[in-house]
Amino acid sequence: MNVLKVPARTIAVFVLPCLLLYVCLVFIPILVSLYSALLDWNGISGANFIGLANFKTMLFDDPVFWPSVRRTLLYAVFSMAEIPICLMMAILLNRYVKRANTLVSIYFIPVILSVVIIGQLWKTIYNPASMGGMINGILNSLHLTSWTHSWITEPKIAMFCLYFVSLWQYFGYHLLIQFTGVQNIPSEIYEAAKIDGADGFKADRYITFPMVVPIFKISIVLAFIGSLQAFDLIMVMTGGGPANATETISTYMYNMSFLSMKYGYGSALATFLVVICLVFTVMINFVFKRIENKVS
Amino acid sequence: MAKGKVLAVILASALALSLAACGSSNNSSTSNTSSTSSTESTPTSSSDKKVTITFQNIYPDSTTPSYKMLHQLVDQYEKEHPNITIDLDSLNTDQQKMKLKTQAASKEVPDITIVNPAAQMKPFVDAGLLAPLNDILDKDGLRDTYQKGLLDYYSFDNNVYALPDGNNIEVVYYNKELFQQAGITDTPKTFDELLQDVKTLKAKGITPIAIGEKDSWTGSFLFMNILLRTNNGPGFLQDVLDKKKTFNDPAFTEAVAKFQELVDAGAFEEGATSIDYNAGGNIFKTGKAAMYIMGTWEIGAIDSSPVAGKVGVFQFPTVNGKGDVNEYMLAPGSAFAVSANSDHLQETKDFLHFFASNLPKAEFDLKNAVGIGQKVDGDFKAAGYSDLAISALDLFKNVKGGDLAFDNTMNPATAQIHLSSIQNLFVQKVDPSQVAQEHQSAFEANNK
Repeated sequence: MNVLKVPARTIAVFVLPCLLLYVCLVFIPILVSLYSALLDWNGISGANFIGLANFKTMLFDDPVFWPSVRRTLLYAVFSMAEIPICLMMAILLNRYVKRANTLVSIYFIPVILSVVIIGQLWKTIYNPASMGGMINGILNSLHLTSWTHSWITEPKIAMFCLYFVSLWQYFGYHLLIQFTGVQNIPSEIYEAAKIDGADGFKADRYITFPMVVPIFKISIVLAFIGSLQAFDLIMVMTGGGPANATETISTYMYNMSFLSMKYGYGSALATFLVVICLVFTVMINFVFKRIENKVS
Repeated sequence: MAKGKVLAVILASALALSLAACGSSNNSSTSNTSSTSSTESTPTSSSDKKVTITFQNIYPDSTTPSYKMLHQLVDQYEKEHPNITIDLDSLNTDQQKMKLKTQAASKEVPDITIVNPAAQMKPFVDAGLLAPLNDILDKDGLRDTYQKGLLDYYSFDNNVYALPDGNNIEVVYYNKELFQQAGITDTPKTFDELLQDVKTLKAKGITPIAIGEKDSWTGSFLFMNILLRTNNGPGFLQDVLDKKKTFNDPAFTEAVAKFQELVDAGAFEEGATSIDYNAGGNIFKTGKAAMYIMGTWEIGAIDSSPVAGKVGVFQFPTVNGKGDVNEYMLAPGSAFAVSANSDHLQETKDFLHFFASNLPKAEFDLKNAVGIGQKVDGDFKAAGYSDLAISALDLFKNVKGGDLAFDNTMNPATAQIHLSSIQNLFVQKVDPSQVAQEHQSAFEANNK
């Protein structure tokens, strides 16, 4: 900071507004919800302080909680697994397609659509054939009737159908980010490498991958945090049903706080979500720091 | 440099002027309105205090009779009381429930709001957010306009806290044309006949019963009707609350088993758990399903749908010879409540008194008076009500009693577990005793 030759006090003045906003809008609410997690409270009338009882029930006695955590983490895994594919696609687009920008823009369309529209659209696609469902209709016309399913109402497969929609929607988003990353690598480097005999996959291995790591990390973090908070799509398509089969932490939190009117318990779930987010963000940063050190 | 400074001065002064202009125009406009209102209101009304009453309601759809009724009465009242402005906050049912809960958490309940009966409104009453309405009920005999016993669902410790807009029962609507197509001549009187009809309809490729089970209360409403029969009468949940019975009671497991028979027979459309309440109703209203088991509040909507005139109504059948068809799932409607912390409690109560006193007549004229909570003077047939409405009214005459919906009887946490447990029956085969145990543990965990 001293290089700027600005007194620390001036820096403080400029940082203060943001810091205050951040503390008021993020930090204090987190603390408040931490406190309400210790209450037995319906959100309206008086609250009883019950210590850690909510956490105890949540961690040891709740048949819905751990499956929701599993689904949420699986959501994150799938979203993150999508990103290497996006990167490969971006590299291929950059190398072999002349006007890749148009394609990338087209892939981006689902991102700008409202989640409610996407949800309704895919609900129609997944519907049973009798309700005009596209997938089942196609399967029927191919005489693969045994493959048809009531996709989003069968507990075993419903969640995967939701994952798929989410992956489909955000594919264009991550592709765009990776594509920009790949494009920003100066072509001189590739030319120099070509002279040294590195071409095609070899150039990717030694130039592209190391140079897009920071961008790759952004995508991973975005995908991870986004999927932990997955809520709107699930609410629109299944509402967490049938019978909690597609519940994630955030939908469960909503249902508990507002439908079951257990505000304290909902806050306990929220606290858990905050903790997971923190832990995993730190973990991801740690992993990437090692990767960056290794490749550079 | 000098030029730049001049420009800056000009810009700054322009900005200052425009701000000043805004300020002055604001001032003049407020002073205008206050002066006109004072001159207007002094001669007409004794209390010249200008009052704005916020009226949160669940009638946002301008095509429905309820919307028209609301606006008609509010306009009339505003005309008669120029010092009163009524600010309507119209929301969908679910949005309103959510908004009210949020407002209640910060003790900012609107002057008039909507609550649901019994267990659903209890938290609000316990928190002291609602004002007792005994005084306005006793004024001009308003209390006697309500159907006998109806206000009990909104009373706690002998105080009435809300005035209901409806009092409905659950019936089975059926599409006469589709029944004919399937060769069914008579409406089912027993559950076995109902199952038989379901199979017959299914064999003809007709969806037997439409339901929107994404909104899980719909399945619960139907399930509770079966329970009302297998329990041989009302009061099962009350007995559970009083610890006289548990959910492991045979009446409950039998109801679960019967419900599963219905699911297994393919009674409901495919993918029912992803279809919401409105879409589910539309399957019936577009003539794609033969039956629809729902409250009488749907009559107006059915009469304005493509199947109007083809629909009849019958009582939910007996189950295994048990139960009385004249006992119904009762659905006392959502109700108007007044905030205890309202800044102008008296004005709000006066308005609500006017509103509740004039509601029956307004609803009757709009052909929306089947299943309202108050007694209606008038000849429905002469007023041009449909056959469906008339036959439903005949059912009302013989109502012997019944049960409230699960979420109106049990606390919200227990109700949610019940709802998802019943939703699960649509997609999975579960042993009835396990369903019962699930209910019992949920009940015990949430009723300490």
